Amino acid sequence: MNAVALLVVLPLLAAFLTPSLGRVSGLAAKLLGPAVLLFCLGLVWHYSTGDGLPFSIALGGFLPPLGINLYVDSLALLFAGIVFLLVLLAWPWGDGSREQYALLMLLAGSSAALALSGDLFNIFVFYELGAVASFGLVVSAGTRAAHLATFRYLLISGLGSVLFLLGVAIVYINTGTLNLAHLATLAPQSLNNIQGLVAFVLILLGVGVKAELFLVNSWVPEVYATAPGWVSGLLAGIVSKLAILVLLRLLILVFDFPDAHNLLLLLGVAGFVSGELAAWWARDFRRLLAFSSIGQLGLVFIGFSISGQAGVMAGLAVALHHVLVKPALFYLAESWGGALGRLRGAGGRSPLAAAVFVLFALSLIGVPPLPGFWAKMLVIMGLAGEGGNLQITAIAAVLVVTVVEAAYLLRLVGSFYAGDGPEAVPSKQGPGDISRALLFAVGLLLAMVFVLPLGDWLSSVSGEAMNVPHYVAVVLQRGELQ
Amino acid sequence: MRNLISLLFVGGLVFLLLVLTLQAPFAEGPMLVGKGILQQGTEETGTANLVTSVVLGYRGYDTLGELSILFTAALALGVVLGRRRPEAPRDLEAGLVLRASSDLLFPLLLVVGLYIILHGHLTPGGGFQGGVILAAAFFLPVLARPSQRISHAGLMALEALAGAAFIIIGLLAMRHGGQFLQPLLDKGQLGSLLSGGTLPLLYIAVGVKVGAELAGLLVRLGDAEADS
Repeated sequence: MNAVALLVVLPLLAAFLTPSLGRVSGLAAKLLGPAVLLFCLGLVWHYSTGDGLPFSIALGGFLPPLGINLYVDSLALLFAGIVFLLVLLAWPWGDGSREQYALLMLLAGSSAALALSGDLFNIFVFYELGAVASFGLVVSAGTRAAHLATFRYLLISGLGSVLFLLGVAIVYINTGTLNLAHLATLAPQSLNNIQGLVAFVLILLGVGVKAELFLVNSWVPEVYATAPGWVSGLLAGIVSKLAILVLLRLLILVFDFPDAHNLLLLLGVAGFVSGELAAWWARDFRRLLAFSSIGQLGLVFIGFSISGQAGVMAGLAVALHHVLVKPALFYLAESWGGALGRLRGAGGRSPLAAAVFVLFALSLIGVPPLPGFWAKMLVIMGLAGEGGNLQITAIAAVLVVTVVEAAYLLRLVGSFYAGDGPEAVPSKQGPGDISRALLFAVGLLLAMVFVLPLGDWLSSVSGEAMNVPHYVAVVLQRGELQ
Repeated sequence: MRNLISLLFVGGLVFLLLVLTLQAPFAEGPMLVGKGILQQGTEETGTANLVTSVVLGYRGYDTLGELSILFTAALALGVVLGRRRPEAPRDLEAGLVLRASSDLLFPLLLVVGLYIILHGHLTPGGGFQGGVILAAAFFLPVLARPSQRISHAGLMALEALAGAAFIIIGLLAMRHGGQFLQPLLDKGQLGSLLSGGTLPLLYIAVGVKVGAELAGLLVRLGDAEADS
């Protein structure tokens, strides 16, 4: 059981060694990362198919709440698996530098650590690590625009981190502990007050920077428009999702108050509406994807605002759907980036890529048999189940804005098949990018076919994550050496 | 307009913090974890300096995260700064006073840095602080004689080895059936140099890594070509 720490430690070890290894042998530096990622994927598979979940290990042998623990359940393993898989898919085989390899491994290790962590301050540390690694990856594009965008990202991230840390401090002053399970037992008495709410808002804004939350997402369009496509794909696919996971854990274990849920609903609706409207105005392919990503994450927040298991399931469904769709779209943007006008007639020049784009667009809008429909459906059903005035307004907003979403995506699809482009612009897809996008498309179609078993499985995962008494019991009583 | 919004935000934040600090139970809060560590820390880890028992024992995994953050920042800076052209002009040699005093300071700083690292488990100080002093020791001669070079590849290799050593000490504990980063070896007598199990070894790794990293960063910054 204690080998679960390897999921975090081995990527970090590989990252430490990669820059020096790269001086000796470029090939070894290129292969070390994928080898470690494959091993970690195997380890994730081993734990998720074995029994004994959920379990917790005490790092260093220091029992929680004094020491730090890793909490391993299906949800944590799911996100860790997604992290390793996406980093492996994004691996820059052709043109990567050894710094990029090391940064990718640091991103993988920190993300896995976020998925597994059971300690609030530990989450802060590895959240920072992921942030710094993503600065490095964005800036490695090397263009002046990327440097500027990264600088803005760095400033907003810095502000977010300070707020996050302040929130953690308020939690610690009021409860005297940082362990999530311990907090779960203390929060109903010590944090169910104005101090708790302020701590939640501060942590929400801090984590929200990476989760593209309304108010703190102004870095998103610039960064996604200037970073290499595979980096944007990773940011949208991994970094934002891990921030979401952290928020979900905190919401379930520590900040389970009605005010917190209402705040999430408001910010989620604001994010969804503003993101999709901005995407409608966007005239640049990558910007359009970035704004649509803000909108989708707003929908995730709306999902999490629903109380009980329905909310967790709805939010997770939207988030997982986004993981399948957005990285692939950014791979397509690798050669389709730039003004939307360039893409006129792209359907004739690269029919396969255009078909894949149409599939993803339809799923994003939520056309019935595709997974995107079921995800949106879960959100709307959940909101309807709550039935308050706020929730009904939110349903109306989601439905109206979905029409806007459909309008801009279908407008783009229409221009793909509208005769020839203005001149022979080089918007054909490279074989590497389209094959990676195809993999995601196959995943999406598989999800469509197996939607019923997937739904059952998602329901059991979210049920397990919701079970706070069990979480506390696993960490605090059975948390000894295993 | 933009300034006004920032002003409002900062004002609001300050007000919020004031209200919160007036309400917060300072110095009389629950401090559950803090009290727990104060009671058992020395006994469980065998370090006279309780801070070390937290930094490397109870929260050693966080320290690994912090080390990685420093490493990542140095790496990203390397990406931004780029490489120096070989023919780019260098700064002139410093005067006699600066050169002589840097020669004098070098051994002194080396001893102080190593002392602080080695006694991290006994007295205030440790790998992070000592590492910074070591970095200063190696950077000072470069400032005095800009033509003198520190091998960048060497620093990188040193840093990689130190980082790997930290992790491998942690992994060794797992081979012995413990958890990652579980302290090994005998705790020894409290307060003697050889006490605290593997924690001093971890601190040496931290010190070397931080020192090599900061020295590398400073050398790199000094190496960067000015735009003019």
